[in-house]
Amino acid sequence: MLEASALFSYYGKSPIIQDVDFRVEAGSFTSILGRNGVGKTTLLRTIMGLTDAITGALRFEGADLARMPTHRRGRLGIGYIPQGREIIPRFTVRENIVMGTYARADGKRSIPEFIFELFPILRDFLGRRGGDLSGGQQQQLAIARALAMGPRVLLLDEPTEGIQPNIVRQIEDVILKLNREMGITVILVEQNVGFARRASDQFILLDKGRIALTGTGEKLTNEVADEYLTF
Amino acid sequence: MPAGPAARDSRPPGPYVGWISMDAFFNQAFAGLSMASILLMVALGLAIIYGAMGVINLAHGEFVMLGAYSAWLLQTYFGFSILVSLPVVFLMVALIGLAVERGVVRWLYHRPLDTILATWGIGIVLQQLVRMGVGTDSRYVARPTILDGNVVLGGVVMSNYRIFVVVFSIAVLAATWYLLTRTEYGTRLRAVIQNKEISECYGIRSERVYAMTFAYGAGLAGIAGALVTPLVSVTPTMGTYLVVDAFLVVILGGVGSLMGTAVAAGLVGEATALFSFLLNDTLGRVAVLCAIILLIRFMPQGLFPDRVRR
Ligand SMILES: Nc1ncnc2c1ncn2[C@@H]1O[C@H](COP(=O)(O)OP(=O)(O)OP(=O)(O)O)[C@@H](O)[C@H]1O
Ligand SMILES: [Mg+2]
Repeated sequence: MLEASALFSYYGKSPIIQDVDFRVEAGSFTSILGRNGVGKTTLLRTIMGLTDAITGALRFEGADLARMPTHRRGRLGIGYIPQGREIIPRFTVRENIVMGTYARADGKRSIPEFIFELFPILRDFLGRRGGDLSGGQQQQLAIARALAMGPRVLLLDEPTEGIQPNIVRQIEDVILKLNREMGITVILVEQNVGFARRASDQFILLDKGRIALTGTGEKLTNEVADEYLTF
Repeated sequence: MPAGPAARDSRPPGPYVGWISMDAFFNQAFAGLSMASILLMVALGLAIIYGAMGVINLAHGEFVMLGAYSAWLLQTYFGFSILVSLPVVFLMVALIGLAVERGVVRWLYHRPLDTILATWGIGIVLQQLVRMGVGTDSRYVARPTILDGNVVLGGVVMSNYRIFVVVFSIAVLAATWYLLTRTEYGTRLRAVIQNKEISECYGIRSERVYAMTFAYGAGLAGIAGALVTPLVSVTPTMGTYLVVDAFLVVILGGVGSLMGTAVAAGLVGEATALFSFLLNDTLGRVAVLCAIILLIRFMPQGLFPDRVRR
């Protein structure tokens, strides 16, 4: 579904992602791990076309992403949930979710009902401003916004970072459910090795912008984590 | 306090406060209100373009001027009354704005200083083109005949045309509010203003939103220029004077609040009219400028600062 080969991605003249190859199958669950600053966020931003330049190949279901403007990538069904959530602070919860529908190919602007079943709190807060929600609620809103577009694949960047422990579990469950029950492909940047191991079909370990190790979920052992993830 | 018997003959009749004739005062206040309305439409366009793209559009006064010349052209060669011309003028100047944005401004969004210089240059070019095409003579546009006549309230005489300008500018304000807050275009624009990258991730073409916004702001300036033609003469430099006041309005009102722009336009328009009445034109403008500098000294964000946590 999503494929990269010999991918380099740049901010200015510095190559942040270097010579990366990967392949993500439709319906699969991929985790991206690595220490702070190794380029995990940059890899997701590269998929969305938010870095300054790239070389190499990047394809999504046969379409060449490399030369496609960001707004068209969204319309292919790539839902991006960025680190720090980046919901629109002065938009109401409703406006934030409706914004997700702007990427829909069918032009519908209604909010799919299942979103409120996943996140009932958002229904109660529809009229509140996004900026006034707590961190956990903003994360739910960011996922809801991506779901409103009817995504084929979700790119989630540390969705549980800085969130109260009781909501972390709930968000993890939702991500699993979206993948296992709704068949949405998931690419997740994650610090929590336990969850990554439990959820993933495949993991990608980054180190200084390069892939240090990949494998299936079970191969993400504590020894591997000690070697590549502790400081 | 009544005026002394000797003065009574040379002064206007009606009640007085001190040496100020109340009738003259209110007439001046009404004239100020109609100029404030023109100012509002000019400032709205400036504020929207600045608020959306961070572009200080120094060609805005020339958009006003082009609106005025468009109205003159349509009246002189096609016999259109201003009322009929308004939508045509809006479209004409919006298209010119679109061409300026697509041709020049869009390449400079990341370079604020260069946009200032570039729009300044465009303004000069537009003025010069008009000078070469139409000449430097003042042109005049008749007000629409159905708006001839006055409404008289006691000693205050309000021309129907000025009343129309006031009402029309309020309608433009309301339409702009609706456009920005209640339509999908407006939502897209507000999304792009707050987070361009994420907006693009969700399918919004920020380039197109910027182009439309610039064109809309230019169109508003054009309408203001057309509406002001029966009140002032049309010259290639007419926009400069108006746009200076409009910049004061934007600074005073704060960016990002239509209400702020409206109130500030009212204040600047009225203050200019009344200070000029109490002092004289030149001193009046100096007084307005000093008042604004003082206000900004104590309220740097303008009258209606944006108090939202991010
Ligand atoms: N906008 C940018 N311009 C220039 N360099 C950047 C930019 N964003 C990130 N970088 C650099 O790219 C490198 C990778 O950053 P990135 O944010 O992708 O790391 P990360 O793995 O997501 O880290 P974290 O775990 O802290 O989120 C860092 O060295 C960072 O300094
Ligand atoms: Mg990151």
